[in-house]
Amino acid sequence: MPLDTSAYSLALLRVDGRRWNELRRVHAQIRTQAAADGSSYLEMGHTKVMCVVTGPSEPGARRGGTTGGAGGGGNNAAEVSVTVVVAGFSSVDRKRRGRGDKRNLELQSTISNALAASLHTHLYPHSTISISLHVLSQDGSLLAALINAATLACVDAGIPMTDYVVACTAGSTSTYAANDEDADPLLDLNHQEEQELPSLTVATLGATDRVAVLVCESRVQASRLEGMLAVGVDGCKQVREILDRVVRDKGRKMVSEGTVERGIGLESMDLD
Amino acid sequence: MASTQHVLLSPAELAYIHASLSLSPPIRPDGRTPTQFRPLVAETDILPGTNGSARICFADGTEAIVGVKAEVERTPGADAVYDPDHAYDTNAGETALEAGQSDWVELSVEIPGVRDDDSGVAFLSAVLSEALLADGAFSARLRINRRFHWKLYLDILLISPPLSYPLPLLSLTTHLALLSTRLPRLKSEGDEDPFFDDDWAAAPHLFPRHDTTTTSRPPITLLVMAAGRNIVFDPSREELAVADVALAVSVVATTAGTGKKGGGRSLRLLSVRTIDPPSRLTPPGVANEANSAYGAKAAGLVAGQGQRQPEARAAEAERVEGVWRAPRGGSKAGVLAALVGKVLEEGGVVDEVLEALEGVDLG
Repeated sequence: MPLDTSAYSLALLRVDGRRWNELRRVHAQIRTQAAADGSSYLEMGHTKVMCVVTGPSEPGARRGGTTGGAGGGGNNAAEVSVTVVVAGFSSVDRKRRGRGDKRNLELQSTISNALAASLHTHLYPHSTISISLHVLSQDGSLLAALINAATLACVDAGIPMTDYVVACTAGSTSTYAANDEDADPLLDLNHQEEQELPSLTVATLGATDRVAVLVCESRVQASRLEGMLAVGVDGCKQVREILDRVVRDKGRKMVSEGTVERGIGLESMDLD
Repeated sequence: MASTQHVLLSPAELAYIHASLSLSPPIRPDGRTPTQFRPLVAETDILPGTNGSARICFADGTEAIVGVKAEVERTPGADAVYDPDHAYDTNAGETALEAGQSDWVELSVEIPGVRDDDSGVAFLSAVLSEALLADGAFSARLRINRRFHWKLYLDILLISPPLSYPLPLLSLTTHLALLSTRLPRLKSEGDEDPFFDDDWAAAPHLFPRHDTTTTSRPPITLLVMAAGRNIVFDPSREELAVADVALAVSVVATTAGTGKKGGGRSLRLLSVRTIDPPSRLTPPGVANEANSAYGAKAAGLVAGQGQRQPEARAAEAERVEGVWRAPRGGSKAGVLAALVGKVLEEGGVVDEVLEALEGVDLG
């Protein structure tokens, strides 16, 4: 499926009609599931993921297929164990990924490490925070969507954290081999672009420039890396705004519905 | 994810729940009537990338998503039958190819935190696929022509942690997903290589909604249990913990003619499976007469059984009113027949459930 990259230079529009610095539609919900401690649903374009957080709770018997351990060393901090289930129907052609799939394991340990660094796991010694992520539909930026959904679910579960861990992808308009100097960096790649172009996934700690995750699985010319990274970090700031708005809207709604009490010091908060 | 997951209830609590379920009429812990289902929220066609999908949330917070994907597959051994020059001459192997094969449907169940080779998960998917394939009528729908068929992949995801035994939830979600499943309209004729209409709006449902002759629906599997003399539908986790017998009963409903709604519906039993209820593993209670806290120590010593555990003695003792004893041994044939009969009852729970599911907007 070759992407007609030459078309980009004509109108500076990508295959789905976006400009280089535009995100796809991000739609998120939190507290989607009553039985869980924390839950969220996130769409980035056509990538749809659901997340359910259980815990912090007493660690049960060692469960199969989870990857954890990050931050869990020595039992003085909670262990963050992540399970990613990629549904068979999520991609165009049905493909079943087993639990032991290497790509899955890598996704799990990346998410686990990123969240363990941001969550205040030291407050919950001898316990486990288990995060289970379900991929319902994939269209690129899978890791980014998973990280964002996991962050939202952890917010919903009320686990103290330094800041949102927000992620987004960035790419470059020309392939590794093509040596054109005026290659533009691109923000938030879809599946088609991800197949064709060099890309990286970057996650930052909130709106700061502190990078929490940087994953690049394709060959990129070193000179273009800086531009891609800058665009990615900038995209993360936009994603943080969106996620923050989702959390605040939900909080405001819960206060106005009387589900939760208005906190001390929030009397002045404008509830419209 | 076995049905026998541990329930943190004391013998006294178990005895109380069992006693209240055995009353006439039974009193259930959540106040439902014996034939009442847990309220649920359902939606279909949630994933545009699938042929059919559905999501159901039960009121206790358990949630499942089912996605159905179909692929065209060559029927093995059928090419020998097909000869382009004499396409309609030969009848060899006709009967064998008219029916569907059970490997045309692949079903997988995913439960978070549980290995996919776990025996409980394997049992769940066996029960669900058994119901689908029991009468061969379902896989016959997947036949395109003598040389090709649809291969249907059903992926069943439990999103929430398994709070109660998820069989009814997964079955109802699968039912809805199959109801909303559409396959592209076939344009080619006979035994040619299949060629489909690319207009998705023209794609017919796998289970046509308004058929002129008979309407059949995908099967549903219900969980029924008996406690004392009572039969209880859709037991919650606590109720299952005191069940004498628990059955997974799969039924299919066929509506004959275009009569009024629910008019000519006839139910057919597809399969019955006994579920091993967790009640068999619960610890027995100790009657006051045998309890050392109530001065029973001397009695035990007098009988010369001082070295035996009081629990072991209690388990062997006579059944005492209000003292929990795990059900033992098999269940009576009469009870099983009553359970199945109750499911197949005209105008009973199955009718109610099917009508409720038909009310879900299929978009």
